[in-house]
Amino acid sequence: MITLTHFLVVSACIFAAGMYAVLARRNAIMVLVGIELIINAAILNLVAFGRYDSTHYGGQVFAVFAIVLAAAGVAVALAIILNVYQHYKTINPEDIRDLKEK
Amino acid sequence: MPQPSVTYLPFVALAAVLLPFAGSLLSAIAGRRSQSGAIAITAIAGSLLTAAYVFAQVWGNAPVHGQWQWFVIGETPFHVGLLLDNQSVLMLLLVPLIALPVHLYSVAYMKGDPGIHRYWMYLGLFCFAMMALVVADNLFLLYVCWELVGFASYLLIGFWFTRDTAVQANKKAFIVNRIGDIGLLIGIAILYAQFGTLDIRTLFDPHGLVAASVVADGQWIASGRSMPAIWLTLSGLAFLLGAIAKSAQFPLHVWLPDAMEGPTAVSSLIHAATMVAAGVFLLARIFPLFNGTALMVMACIGVFTACMAAYFALTQYDIKKILAFSTISQLGFMVAGIGMGAYHAALFHLATHAFFKCLLFLAAGAVIHEMQHLNKQYGLEIDPQDIRGMGGLRRQMPLTFTVMAIAALALGGFPLTGGFLSKDALLVHALEWGAIQPGLLRLLPYFLFAAAGLTAFYIARLIFKVFVAPPAIDRLTQIHEVGKWMLVPMLFLAACSLFLVFSLHPFDVGRAWLTQGMVPDTLPPTLPAAHTLVPVTATLIALLMAWLAWKWYVKGAYPLRTTGLLYKLSLNQGYLDKLYDLAVISPVLRLSHVLREADRYLVDGTIDGLGRLGRLLAALAGWMDQYVVDGTVRLIGKIAYGLGNVLRRTQTGRVQYYLFTMFFIVLIVLLYQMIIHA
Repeated sequence: MITLTHFLVVSACIFAAGMYAVLARRNAIMVLVGIELIINAAILNLVAFGRYDSTHYGGQVFAVFAIVLAAAGVAVALAIILNVYQHYKTINPEDIRDLKEK
Repeated sequence: MPQPSVTYLPFVALAAVLLPFAGSLLSAIAGRRSQSGAIAITAIAGSLLTAAYVFAQVWGNAPVHGQWQWFVIGETPFHVGLLLDNQSVLMLLLVPLIALPVHLYSVAYMKGDPGIHRYWMYLGLFCFAMMALVVADNLFLLYVCWELVGFASYLLIGFWFTRDTAVQANKKAFIVNRIGDIGLLIGIAILYAQFGTLDIRTLFDPHGLVAASVVADGQWIASGRSMPAIWLTLSGLAFLLGAIAKSAQFPLHVWLPDAMEGPTAVSSLIHAATMVAAGVFLLARIFPLFNGTALMVMACIGVFTACMAAYFALTQYDIKKILAFSTISQLGFMVAGIGMGAYHAALFHLATHAFFKCLLFLAAGAVIHEMQHLNKQYGLEIDPQDIRGMGGLRRQMPLTFTVMAIAALALGGFPLTGGFLSKDALLVHALEWGAIQPGLLRLLPYFLFAAAGLTAFYIARLIFKVFVAPPAIDRLTQIHEVGKWMLVPMLFLAACSLFLVFSLHPFDVGRAWLTQGMVPDTLPPTLPAAHTLVPVTATLIALLMAWLAWKWYVKGAYPLRTTGLLYKLSLNQGYLDKLYDLAVISPVLRLSHVLREADRYLVDGTIDGLGRLGRLLAALAGWMDQYVVDGTVRLIGKIAYGLGNVLRRTQTGRVQYYLFTMFFIVLIVLLYQMIIHA
């Protein structure tokens, strides 16, 4: 029997993998992939918890919303990355340090 | 007496008084440009002309009194003005008459002096002060001018202020005069307390308040007020003290010999018309105030001074010192004359003395001037004032010799001179006064005769030593006569020293016009015999003394040991300076030293201690401020800085670090929540 705990463990693993990608990768595209992983971990959780709402399917509905929002977010983020690339000629987050005071 | 109808006379007199002052002011404004003295000479000449006009209008007529309100204290108005009577117009004329030749003489004498612009300024001030003094109509104004005269003389005596002796001399003159000023001030205060006015005419008119006051039952009563009779004597003595200091009488005469440190032309002015004459003038002015005691003291002081100064003059070597003591002696004659009631004779002597003493000084100045010239020309080192270094100058300086001889004859009281008339007038009055005196006072006139004899001796000694005796060194034959700028004033004064100026009759001492103008109301009974005997005796004594001097100093038969007690006493001026030094100056100096030390250690010490305490407190407060107050503030700043410094490390600009940090913090918060809820 697959219990809620199994879902949560898988979700946590995906979240950790996403987190690692976000924090450690040297490529902004890969960071974006990491973000998608984190979002999908969250969506998995929504769907898993959705079983407790079998009348309205709130979990599933929110999962669909989240997928749409994530897609929109990816579009925006990719556009930003393209602009960053044009500006800095790199997409390595390590090399983009303009937030730091000079 | 006819009343002069003119009312503008006070203004004319005021112009005469103010002209020298204006000259002085202009010289002061012109500063270094006023070297020629043209301003001062013009001013004094104008003053002389106006004074002569005033004199001609007033002399022999009723007094003219011009008065204006000065200020009001409470309800008492105080007036200021000019009182022109015979006494004052005589002096008003005399001052510029003496001062003008002195001014002219100074042109040559002071030529090239670096401070000559100051000289003209001071001379003007001096003449102004003296002229204002003689016409002042109240004692307060007179006191002001009295101080001004003293101040101007202080400036002039210390004219060469780079010389230490000159500074000492003017300080001495000023301080000694202060003593007299106190006397004068006290006298004025007593009079004001008694009469409530200081107006000279109201007080000292023949029918004035002083004459109307009476002494009864030991009380001095005047117009409703009374005070113990002793105050009458005391006020007389107080005024006398003022006159003693100003007119250089014993025991306050010590400033006058030292006053020789000023330029010689100034000495002649001080000794003739200004300064010392002020004391005698004051005594004559307030004569009705003096009662028997005061007059007796005055007569004694005058006679003693006359003898003492003549005695001191016998052995002096400094040509100006001899003349200075001569002045003191002659002033003694005048003071004695006033003490004996003959103030008209005293003022007469003052006038004649002014001319010949001024002349003596100017001639002495001429000799000194030429001696200095000789020194400079041949590089000699003769003391230009020491008569031992002179001799035989009559051949080289005949005109100076002639005028100085005339002045000396006048001083010695030889016939045909003004001095003969006035001195014998004094002696005659002294004899007449002595005839009605009790006891030892009868002897006073004879001391005056002795002083007159000594006078003839010392002045003959001076003339013989300087002009007649063999020259001290050969170089003296190279000396020259002085220039005409110095000769003309001397010739004028020589003419004024002769009898014709004062009386048409060369021998009758009573008939001089000058004495006729102001005969006192009460005189002792005349002794007709004295009027013939006195001139003859006095002349004989003078001749004898001159002959003695001739024998001693020209023929070289000098009989005295210079180590004798009497000789030394005379040479050292009776050791009076040393006595004063011991009795007054040293104690005062010691006291000042003690006080100075007290001031330094006690007063200054306390203040310094307070100051140090203040500094200590301030240092403490400063420390507190720096380390506690500022320290707190700085500590806060430092903490913020350090914290910021640590935190800025986290601001790497790398997005992933920020994310990691956020994640980390969220993680911690989660863990914290879990621990709390577990």
